[in-house]
Amino acid sequence: MPAGRSGPAAQSARRPPLLLPLLLLCVLGAPRAGSGAHMAVISPQDPTLLIGSSLQATCSVHGDPPGATAEGLYWTLNGRRLAPELSRVLNTSTLALALANLNGSRQQSGDNLVCHARDGSILAGSCLYVGLPPEKPFNISCWSKNMKDLTCRWTPGAHGETFLHTNYSLKYKLRWYGQDNTCEEYHTVGPHSCHIPKDLALFTPYEIWVEATNRLGSARSDVLTLDILDVVTTDPPPDVHVSRVGGLEDQLSVRWVSPPALKDFLFQAKYQIRYRVEDSVDWKVVDDVSNQTSCRLAGLKPGTVYFVQVRCNPFGIYGSKKAGIWSEWSHPTAASTPRSERPGPGGGACEPRGGEPSSGPVRRELKQFLGWLKKHAYCSNLSFRLYDQWRAWMQKTHKTRNQHRTRGSCPRADGARRERLPNHPVVAWSCGLQPSKSI
Amino acid sequence: MSRREGSLDPQADSSISPLPHLEAKIRQTHSLARLLTKYAEQLLQEYVQHQGDPFGRPGFSPPRLPVAGLSAPAPGHAGLPAPERLRLDAAALTALPPLLDVVRRRQAELNPRAPRLLLRLEEAARQARALGAAVEAVLAALGADETRGPRPEPAVVATNAAAAAPDAGVFPAKVLGLRVCGLYREWVSRTEGDLGQLVPGGPA
Repeated sequence: MPAGRSGPAAQSARRPPLLLPLLLLCVLGAPRAGSGAHMAVISPQDPTLLIGSSLQATCSVHGDPPGATAEGLYWTLNGRRLAPELSRVLNTSTLALALANLNGSRQQSGDNLVCHARDGSILAGSCLYVGLPPEKPFNISCWSKNMKDLTCRWTPGAHGETFLHTNYSLKYKLRWYGQDNTCEEYHTVGPHSCHIPKDLALFTPYEIWVEATNRLGSARSDVLTLDILDVVTTDPPPDVHVSRVGGLEDQLSVRWVSPPALKDFLFQAKYQIRYRVEDSVDWKVVDDVSNQTSCRLAGLKPGTVYFVQVRCNPFGIYGSKKAGIWSEWSHPTAASTPRSERPGPGGGACEPRGGEPSSGPVRRELKQFLGWLKKHAYCSNLSFRLYDQWRAWMQKTHKTRNQHRTRGSCPRADGARRERLPNHPVVAWSCGLQPSKSI
Repeated sequence: MSRREGSLDPQADSSISPLPHLEAKIRQTHSLARLLTKYAEQLLQEYVQHQGDPFGRPGFSPPRLPVAGLSAPAPGHAGLPAPERLRLDAAALTALPPLLDVVRRRQAELNPRAPRLLLRLEEAARQARALGAAVEAVLAALGADETRGPRPEPAVVATNAAAAAPDAGVFPAKVLGLRVCGLYREWVSRTEGDLGQLVPGGPA
């Protein structure tokens, strides 16, 4: 039968638990800290100490259990018995302990300092909190998703290790007026982050800072001042479609839709595209896709599956001069370039032999492109002869071509980025550049 | 004819034998108790891990603080008649949730970065309520539910809360939590054993 004053079978009345209202009544019955069934008291109870400091503690036996005098008592700390020379008997009922140069607490609930009787039974315990005060948090960065919210993250000072539970609180207020507010949704994008979901003003700066507090003190970061409009990001472009361009073996067309959440706001969207071959981890990035919702990738390998992603930067919202923040990449979309049915020279290779001009639709399109460049882009030195020289050089070095160009843009001298491929030289396309030069 | 789920009156429809329903109920409750025994063991392991050594070490034997209103199953428990055992099981399972809540609140202060522990403590309270209700349903189906074990008196429960309150020592609070988690495991395991003896085909 269950023992105790009111075992479950002894009474018939059903009473709901009333914890909170009766907590005050419990003071009378509250056990003394470190006493009661432990038959001893450790002092101090649950102290907080700096790393490297010392501790003087006592274990005082009370009551009248047989053999429970200070003689024979011993200490353990986190289960490890402490050396006898660290203890001394103060009187018949008190054993003292002296610890020096304390290390940081092993667990955040406190190190377990326990006073044992001679037979090993536990008489009392006390938890030590040894650590460091927090240092100033820093590196606060914030962003707003579609101007509806604000998420911030920061770096804790001193690498974050204080050995004590340290509470971080993100505070914010309107710069010119208003009261301090405290962020409430923590750990949204990592351990040191917070999300403010609503009630944010535009066109007026906020002051944002982080306060760190633990048992040994507190610290406050520098104040970050920002306008929500200067830190806007958005969702990835939806409806990304990748498709073939007729029978062109080395091209794919990418189309997408501008993020709908910001469609009603004035901004100049920038886009980036990245793509990779199916079994590769190396992405190639197409920059400078400004305010367009389509792009054609060229210079691709025939008969190859490509994964493509797009992201958006909604800079310039309501005249903001700041750079804006890139969205996440869209979900990968895959498509494959067609492969020609007729075998190429060398047993199926799509590229022609060294020096031989390519034929077919690629060459026709290239001719048109060169004509357009001469007319619109001050690239008077470009010619088919230059192109053939380059092709011969590429064939000679047995390297795979992989340049790309965006439709409707000109690779100016200060122009588009080039990705350096592993083991592939990059030939800069710049008007007038000699084909023998490589970067 | 229909079988109403949860029907507590074996004579509601005399043309239907209540036995299959009762057997099913016992089996289900036994399965639940078996599952919760495993969860209770996991809770105990999680708990001792976050309190630090020597909690969880073999041979660690803190003073068995009395938890007012609830004790471990008595040595003579197994010798009692089945309905009496189940009544004691149900009473203990009813007493456990507020104790687990007290432990969870204190652990939220001592181990705020242990979300899994806090979640397990919260779930344990819900699980104890669910198993207690299921055992009471079995008792009702057996026609043996005329006496319910009482919940601990409010002052008694509040005394437990005080032992775990912030102004009480941290070490005693850790020990109390260990005791409560241990009692939860003992009573869930005891319930599983008592129901197992009622499962048709199980040990007599």
